[in-house]
Amino acid sequence: MVGADTHTGLARREVLRGIALGALLPALGGLAAPLHAAELDAEGPGERETSAALLRQMFPHAAFAPAFYDEMAGRYLEELAARPEALAEHRRGLALLDASYIAPFAQLPAVIQRALVARVDQEPFFTAYLMRGAELVYRDARVWDALGYEGSSVEYGGYLDRGFDDIDWLPGAGEMQ
Amino acid sequence: MTTYSLDDSSVFVVIGSGAGGGVLSRELASRGHKVVCLEAGPRLTLGDIVNDETEMFNKLTWLDPRMATGKPDPRFPVWGCKTVGGTTMHWTGACPRFEPHEMRARSTYGDMPDTTLVDWPVSPEDMAPWYDKAEMRMGVTGTHGNPHLPPGNNYKVLEAGARKCGYTDMDTHNMAINSVARDGRPHCRQLGFCTSGCALGAKWSTLYTEIPAAEETGNFELRPGCMVTGLEVGEDGRIASVTYLHEGQSITQKARAVSIAGNVVETTRLLLNNRSERHPDGLANSSGLVGRNYMRHFTIQVMGVMPGKVHFYRQTHLAGVVRDERAHRPERGFAGGFLISTVPFTPEVLAKNMLVGGWGRDLTRVLDKYEYLAGMLLTGEDPPQHSNAITLHPEARDANGLPVPVIHYEDHPNTIAMKEYAWKAGRRIYEAMGAEEIVEMGDYIPATHNMGTARMGEDPKASVCTPYGRTHDVANLFVSDGSLFPTAGGCNPTLTIVALAMRQAQHIDGELRAGRL
Repeated sequence: MVGADTHTGLARREVLRGIALGALLPALGGLAAPLHAAELDAEGPGERETSAALLRQMFPHAAFAPAFYDEMAGRYLEELAARPEALAEHRRGLALLDASYIAPFAQLPAVIQRALVARVDQEPFFTAYLMRGAELVYRDARVWDALGYEGSSVEYGGYLDRGFDDIDWLPGAGEMQ
Repeated sequence: MTTYSLDDSSVFVVIGSGAGGGVLSRELASRGHKVVCLEAGPRLTLGDIVNDETEMFNKLTWLDPRMATGKPDPRFPVWGCKTVGGTTMHWTGACPRFEPHEMRARSTYGDMPDTTLVDWPVSPEDMAPWYDKAEMRMGVTGTHGNPHLPPGNNYKVLEAGARKCGYTDMDTHNMAINSVARDGRPHCRQLGFCTSGCALGAKWSTLYTEIPAAEETGNFELRPGCMVTGLEVGEDGRIASVTYLHEGQSITQKARAVSIAGNVVETTRLLLNNRSERHPDGLANSSGLVGRNYMRHFTIQVMGVMPGKVHFYRQTHLAGVVRDERAHRPERGFAGGFLISTVPFTPEVLAKNMLVGGWGRDLTRVLDKYEYLAGMLLTGEDPPQHSNAITLHPEARDANGLPVPVIHYEDHPNTIAMKEYAWKAGRRIYEAMGAEEIVEMGDYIPATHNMGTARMGEDPKASVCTPYGRTHDVANLFVSDGSLFPTAGGCNPTLTIVALAMRQAQHIDGELRAGRL
């Protein structure tokens, strides 16, 4: 298992070099999108549904309900409403996903969705949504609960008496202290 | 509260209130010298510090525009802090000393193409007592009778794996975090938000140690929210005054002498931006080396999905260290070495780091195992290169009308070779503990370890400052931050910045008393 992951490790270091690395930091997300004013009125069908399905492909967690991705997609679209150029770019990207002629993106099987997303994952609309989406999803307290992250601790006196050293599975634990 | 008149030309002006400026201020004030400290950022209180990385990032970070060429991301090419306390608010508290071989880098490593490797003009023997003083001042754990911090989960995994790999030199590190209550501050309660400011004040930061101690002397005035823009040279060739912006007003303070400790970007900008007939290439820049030899340690990570739960966020960020790879062993294929320590990530920062490598299940199958993750940080020496430099953009100006700094940085082949080795070494440690999956992550986010842009040395043609951090060109101008480092070593710089500032303060005190300043 471990040996097989060499490629994964390298891939993490190499693949998406184009993503704004500064955007990795809290509060520095958001990419500028090129201006295409003519596309502003091109509202696609099921914009929210497609956005939600795309977000779920980006961050698929079995424990998260579809309604959660829908809520987060809605928040992203609200944010874009104040940035017409970015909204136009986002819509242009959604149109690429909805242009399969089989069915709207949101109604496609997951395996086909993944293949379609892989074709657009270097597009500016995608990287912008990916970075902001990561903030929307992983800053949410319900997600922290699902993943097992306990967050702020100062109000509880820290983790000193709440498990900072409670690991119990190490072989020979205690022998090496 | 002590205040000084703008016309008082007997004050020593310190620019910056972090590890260098905060310590120098206290040292000079406690020796009876009048000090005015100008800090660009605001003065927070412990009540302003919350356990929220995003909120604290915005409160603490220097977010004025910078540009970049080469490797760094132009949107965030360098990390510094704009707050009273500077990067001592953000740092992890790790306090390793430079190793003697690192201070003799040129002699130890020999010729390394495309570098400006030198030996430090200060010997390890000269530094030793100053390291002692710095450790005592900061209450560094594992030194001078201060107990180590207790081992927590993330460190226990690192330690167990490292021992299986044959490593032997490891513990919970030498940390400027109180393991017991001391210096009027409580002991660490393992909040897990060290780099967002310590809400308890258990971690040493000049905000609540050196700065109030300086104020208690009655010889010190802190002026927060003051962005220095100019250093005026008098006819005698000395700095006569310092000009700064405060709430939109330009204010000039007369000065007896000045020290700059703005972290390398701001220190460089201030020197390069103050040109005159006497200093056509910028203040103290007759060597042409101001801004050159910019160094930063690489900080790469390895995450392991372990067989049992770790909860790696439930403790100090840097919860322990393995030192065995710090030595210089050229048979590994590179000069110098690196430290292996722990690091946790919040789900958000982990996700954003991993997004560099992909999306979908590759990402979420690791995040789904968040409770099972162990994390390590690998930090290694970066050799000085003349071409790695901070310059000023010829036209772009920020909101203060100051030229935007341009950061140029590329990894040296020695650094690339060390990183490749370090990733493998880190991977082996978690493999030895039965990790289900291992994720290697690169140095996308710069460390706050910034060094080298006003290097000290004996030769005015080959260095900017003397071995005491006094500029060769301007008799009453000093530098007191990581800019002074001739080489970077393989360890966190803050302890050395503090030790150098304490040593410099003694030198300045002597010069002031002898009437030479």
